[in-house]
Amino acid sequence: MCRNGPEPDCEKAPAAAFAALLEDSVEELYENAPCGYLSTLMDGTIAKINATLLGWLGLEADAVVGRMRFADLLTVGGKLYHETHFAPLLRMRGEISGIALEIKQAGGGRIPVLVSSVVKNGGNGEPLLIRTTVFDARDRRAYERELLRARRAAEQAHEQAEADRARLQDALAVLQQSLLPATLPPVPGVEAAAHYRTASPDRLGGDFYDLFAIDGRRFAFFLGDVCGKGPQAAAVTSLIRYTLRAAALHDPDPVAALTTLNHLLHERYTGDDPRYCTAIFGTLEPGPTTGEVTVRIASGGHPPALVLRADGTAGFLATPGGLLVGVLPTAPFTATATTLGPGDTLVLYTDGLTEARTGEDRTALYGDEALLAFAAGHAGKAPQAVIRALEDLLDDLGDGLDDDTALLAIGVPAPGTQSRTAT
Amino acid sequence: MNPLSITTQDATTGPVLEIFGDLDYTTVGELRERLTALTLRPGQRLVLDLAGMTFCDSSGITALIAARNQTHAAHADIALAAVPAHTLRVLRMVGLDQIFVVHPDSDAATRP
Repeated sequence: MCRNGPEPDCEKAPAAAFAALLEDSVEELYENAPCGYLSTLMDGTIAKINATLLGWLGLEADAVVGRMRFADLLTVGGKLYHETHFAPLLRMRGEISGIALEIKQAGGGRIPVLVSSVVKNGGNGEPLLIRTTVFDARDRRAYERELLRARRAAEQAHEQAEADRARLQDALAVLQQSLLPATLPPVPGVEAAAHYRTASPDRLGGDFYDLFAIDGRRFAFFLGDVCGKGPQAAAVTSLIRYTLRAAALHDPDPVAALTTLNHLLHERYTGDDPRYCTAIFGTLEPGPTTGEVTVRIASGGHPPALVLRADGTAGFLATPGGLLVGVLPTAPFTATATTLGPGDTLVLYTDGLTEARTGEDRTALYGDEALLAFAAGHAGKAPQAVIRALEDLLDDLGDGLDDDTALLAIGVPAPGTQSRTAT
Repeated sequence: MNPLSITTQDATTGPVLEIFGDLDYTTVGELRERLTALTLRPGQRLVLDLAGMTFCDSSGITALIAARNQTHAAHADIALAAVPAHTLRVLRMVGLDQIFVVHPDSDAATRP
């Protein structure tokens, strides 16, 4: 202690004084150091071992020195690693450090350790012996195990989340399919095709369409768009689909079917959570001999249907003034009719198409005029070809599609082509 | 995408809500909350000024109809002012121009 001014001993050799006070015996330091010490001959035979390491092993010096080799202290796996890696590397480099091994205890236990060795050479460079330190790595191993366990837990949680996500996607896909017909039924003398595209794969869409038989002669179809998105909209979509189907069987007049739907939606959803849709409902009545099909439609607030004629022209089938279905207790719906001859095709679509944002800044809308011009370019083609062309158009619009899009095309095959129905 | 903001003013005819930005699926809840917090007296007129509205999708249209239902339940009236051309086109297409009174601007809409 040299706190209070000079003292003779302190001035001379302060470091030596400390050492003398704290570590008075080098032998004691060797024996009870906080790590294991071990010296072996070049063949591994143990020549000297400290008390710390003997304590870990649970062995007496007499049983070890001159009787065992370093590898004998190791577990089977450790022995193998020592033979194949540790010893060769040590011979090659003359030193090796921080190798994780396990030593066997007399009681049958094992202790994870970190081993470092150095070869001591004689005066003319020949290797004399190996000096080895052994550090207790139990705490460190426990920490590593904990890290590993945490990583496995994180991986499992991730896998679980992925599985949940996949299951949810499957459930959504099944629900989505229940909102749409799996296939369109064959209609004599008519070809039909449909396409549905969701703007987002994990969000249920609110667009719908269907085509079904009313009686032996007539068929009905509809296509529409529920305002809003997500599960609530999907629930309404399902309600609408089966209401329109039932209404059509009761009275296939298009205005009557939409009026029934309007009544139901308005009664079921009122107040601050109104639910309604735009929809076109129609009937198909194939002429018995002419090959022509009479189409009667009514619209509730839906974009007008397109008619593509065999002569290469296209036009909207206007239904102005029809109100959104479900807003008012009694709503006006507008009816109109047309006749499809061979090569003519009726196209119904939802506003995902006409409301798609186009242009560089994605603010311009694709719009009615562009759609009409596009349709005229494909007039005369069969429904499937028209749907394919519209699918390509949707592909081109890509990111501009904010909303789901449903497409339904119904046409009379031109002479010489086969009647087909497909989705 | 423009964020939605709404300001409320009081005219002699009743509250005037000015709507700025995009009214769509993601923002429509704000308008609904604002409307729910509103107290309308019988005979008052709620004016929605849409001059600053940059986009309105079907969810936005739904909110307008909910506002109409709310005002009618309170025996009050609703009017739209300065409806952007695109939204007006949509309102016409879905027939809603038949059930909403549309004024060119807030001044016209708040005349007693």
